[in-house]
Amino acid sequence: MANSNLPRRIIKETQRLLSEPAPGISASPSEDNMRYFNVMILGPTQSPYEGGVFKLELFLPEEYPMAAPKVRFLTKIYHPNIDKLGRICLDILKDKWSPALQIRTVLLSIQALLSAPNPDDPLSDNIAKHWKTNEAEAVETAKEWTRLYASGA
Amino acid sequence: MDSEDDMHDANDIESLDDFYSGETAMDSDDGDENYGFIDNDSDASDDSTSHRPHRQQQNYTILSDADIRQRQEEDITMISTVLSIPRVSASILLRHYNWDVSKVHDAWFADEDRVRRVVGFLEKPVHDATRNVTELTCGICFESYPRDRMHAAACGHPFCTSCWRGYIATSINDGPGCLMLRCPDPSCGAAVGQDMINVIASEEDKQKYCRYLLRSYVEDNKKTKWCPAPGCEYAVDYVMGSGNYDVTCNCSYNFCWNCTEEAHRPVDCGTVAMWILKNSAESENMNWILANSKPCPKCKRPIEKNQGCMHITCTPPCKFEFCWLCLGAWSDHGERTGGFYACNRYETAKQEGVYDEAERRREMAKNSLERYTHYYERWATNQSSRQKALQDLQQMQTVQLGKLSDKYMQPESQLKFITEAWLQIVECRRVLKWTYAYGYYLPEHEHAKRQFFEYLQGEAESGLERLHQCAEKELQCFVDDEGSQTKDFNEFRTKLAGLTTVTRNYFENLVRALENGLSDVDSHGACSRTASSKSRGGRSKPGSSRSGGGSSRGSGLDGSTHWSCEHCTYANVKSATTCGICHHHR
Repeated sequence: MANSNLPRRIIKETQRLLSEPAPGISASPSEDNMRYFNVMILGPTQSPYEGGVFKLELFLPEEYPMAAPKVRFLTKIYHPNIDKLGRICLDILKDKWSPALQIRTVLLSIQALLSAPNPDDPLSDNIAKHWKTNEAEAVETAKEWTRLYASGA
Repeated sequence: MDSEDDMHDANDIESLDDFYSGETAMDSDDGDENYGFIDNDSDASDDSTSHRPHRQQQNYTILSDADIRQRQEEDITMISTVLSIPRVSASILLRHYNWDVSKVHDAWFADEDRVRRVVGFLEKPVHDATRNVTELTCGICFESYPRDRMHAAACGHPFCTSCWRGYIATSINDGPGCLMLRCPDPSCGAAVGQDMINVIASEEDKQKYCRYLLRSYVEDNKKTKWCPAPGCEYAVDYVMGSGNYDVTCNCSYNFCWNCTEEAHRPVDCGTVAMWILKNSAESENMNWILANSKPCPKCKRPIEKNQGCMHITCTPPCKFEFCWLCLGAWSDHGERTGGFYACNRYETAKQEGVYDEAERRREMAKNSLERYTHYYERWATNQSSRQKALQDLQQMQTVQLGKLSDKYMQPESQLKFITEAWLQIVECRRVLKWTYAYGYYLPEHEHAKRQFFEYLQGEAESGLERLHQCAEKELQCFVDDEGSQTKDFNEFRTKLAGLTTVTRNYFENLVRALENGLSDVDSHGACSRTASSKSRGGRSKPGSSRSGGGSSRGSGLDGSTHWSCEHCTYANVKSATTCGICHHHR
């Protein structure tokens, strides 16, 4: 029912995501709601998240693409721009959203955020502070969490 | 108040009135302007003689919707002409630089390329690889359309009409940020101007955009502000660095351009901000302290004050006349009885020889809340008194002037003195109100300043009470009473006009002194106080007030550095040739 009026853009985006997936990213729509995507992002190499498989959920609101998709981490992750509920601090999901962006570009941006945490614009104060005062130790914690929660089980 | 003394004063002042207005025409014009009532009844000739000069010396301009639009258009035209760019671009540029024409010029001629980059003006399209294609794919909905159904900003990134419409609508609904709209392509910063909005957006969105553009001209512009009165749509353009911030909107609201609180001259914005904060913090305590009624000091029946002046008469059989502020007998307040109008005073320090009332007040002073209450109550009472006076003024202008005109066979132009009196009352209540905020923050240890301030405030206040009483109660007799003679009415005219002038002078002195930070206090302030006390002492019963103690000291000073006005007894500095209060020649 919810899928009957699916805009052509969403259908096309979905098809392209499935036929030409971006490296390290998979996104597939839920069977009963084509606006709800199950997403998996592999932890980028050379990052504390390497080797981890991170689950996210992505939802396309009614106004999409005029409004940004809603994205959230389901897997616990130790990252200064992601809070304990999995919410992500990323400009293109908020004021820098443009309808010319796509699901693919959003997920690539999230992947890039894992490679380059930005403790100067934090969502989680404690983790950001940790990152700034003792980066080595913070990276260790992130690795530990990756092993504990994102080991692909 | 009908005493011979008063009538005598009033007559004399009236005779001086011409002299006064000749001497200080600028001042009095300024004063009139501040009241802010556009006198719709005044005829055209009046307008040209009295109102135009005000406009020229005024340091602000009231802008209507049409005025704002016109100025905006003029600025856009100027930038467009000087920089040889389209009007739409000029508008975007001006908005970016907060509608400051000279800033736009400076930035543009300093580094045109940088400015173009920052605001998103492209010299040529960045996306023109599709010149020979008949169909294009929209970057938002991914549909293909013929070229003529696609739109692009200067950059050339094509999107279909319906996606553009959605993009623009979303941006406009998000607020004034739509004035800085850019191409939807995230890698592109090309500006999207009003020309595209007008081609693509819905009628409703176009109007919203227009509204934001107009608002931006006022809100982003450093020298204009909206009038803060509810529902008022005028803006005020202010000449920066011109001093006095008091402005009067065409809606008649009087406010401070700097802090947008209601007008509070001569008290500064900082004091007003502190006072307002204080009031909001204390308001819960105040609510019950200042319940709407007070018991009659004599018969204890509760009394609600619903008239403007502080002179309350309890209903029969009690008929006790008292002052609403201090609840003391009114007979202690008039000048004839030799008392002094002490309700502006608040003394925490113990003073010798003060009459009984002081004992009660000292009790009050023990508590800082009570000290605050003292000032707040007077501040608030003058506020409500002013509101009442405004209503009375309106009632006067709409109904009673007509009646009086018929009854005493006077043309309404001859009744202007009544309107002037009420305008004076309204303005004085406003000033008096703020002097209580001033008084609250005036340091306790500055004794000389406090005394001088309270003296000036007291003089002004008692003058105002006389004026208010006369305008309110005595005038009512003429409105109601069928038997009054035209002769009596003419006497009343003289009295009211005289009181208006005297009160204006008192308040001008008060305002001037506060604006100088009471800096005169060392030279002539102390003397004027003692001199005045002396004169009062002469008329009063000996020892009835503390003026007795000061008189001998005061008279010594008088002879050498000051002269006492024969007419009003004000102590003027020696160099003055006319009296600072009543303008009587030496």
